[in-house]
Amino acid sequence: MKIIRQIGIIFTICWLSQIIEHFLPFPFPASVTGMVLLFVCLLTGILKISHVQEKADFLLENMAFFFIPAGVSIMNYFEILKNSAVQIIFICVISTIITFTVTAYSVMLTVRWMNRRKRDE
Amino acid sequence: MSELTASPYFGVALSVIAFGAGARLQKKLKTPVCNPLIFAIVVIVGILLVFKIPYESYYEGGQVIDMFLAPATACLAVAIYSKVKILKDYWLPVLVGCTAGSAASMASVYGMCRMFGLDRGLTVSLLPKSVTTPIAVSVAEPNGGIVPVTVVAVIFTGILGSIFAPLLIRLLRVKDPVAAGLAIGASSHAVGTSKAVELGETEGAMSGLAIGICGIITVIFSLIIF
Repeated sequence: MKIIRQIGIIFTICWLSQIIEHFLPFPFPASVTGMVLLFVCLLTGILKISHVQEKADFLLENMAFFFIPAGVSIMNYFEILKNSAVQIIFICVISTIITFTVTAYSVMLTVRWMNRRKRDE
Repeated sequence: MSELTASPYFGVALSVIAFGAGARLQKKLKTPVCNPLIFAIVVIVGILLVFKIPYESYYEGGQVIDMFLAPATACLAVAIYSKVKILKDYWLPVLVGCTAGSAASMASVYGMCRMFGLDRGLTVSLLPKSVTTPIAVSVAEPNGGIVPVTVVAVIFTGILGSIFAPLLIRLLRVKDPVAAGLAIGASSHAVGTSKAVELGETEGAMSGLAIGICGIITVIFSLIIF
């Protein structure tokens, strides 16, 4: 019964997010709304982590599995991809390096700034 | 053959078997290059093509699995919530790093897509490729992206990140574990985080935190762009 209740809680949150998505004036993905909703419920204490723990662990640990059908549907797009595969690979490699570098340096600068401010105080 | 495979059980069973085999293989080889999801996708596409099974038959089971995507995304909240304590101490570097990283990722992808003259569909599919798959798909799909392209680009990016991370940390002299962890999470989401966990506890926690925060920031950016 415990697991069924947890499934019920999470599916209810997902359903509420779909309703919210329907009424929002701009397109905001329901799954992300669900994430925000669940986070707020946990922060405010409406839900306790024990209310969703097992179901959440199950979903998070197997996250990759749920993307198999989405990935397999790539077989319907081979024609489109044939001509731009090399470019796509190049874009992935370069932007990963850029993202890593920008994030690392902006964090290091912020931490240095925080430390200097702490010293000055 | 198609009557036999047009059952939801076929798609689900095939997915579980292929994914299980991939996970076992990765455990044995201990390398991020052999990703269970990529392995399963390649094996299933191969089987469908060889036995001439239409994608629609597989998708009878596929849609059952798809149903768990939104709940799994929602549960990322549980992962962020479990790190709420470190978030309190490091909220400023986390926010600055994730904002700068997400902006750099999207801007660099956009720039290169224009450079190569890729069409709008492909550009939208690649734009959110640095964030975790469920969020990337929720950004790409409603804006005209090709979902499977997004999925494959996201996983490929994750694998690249986990391979490059130790190298980049040395090359860029990133001595701060907070910076290293956030950079890994921002550039290569959950696949990279598994590598960050190996590097250290702070790296792992920061990387995990960056998955959720970068995801939300990328959604906000996409709302502004589209």
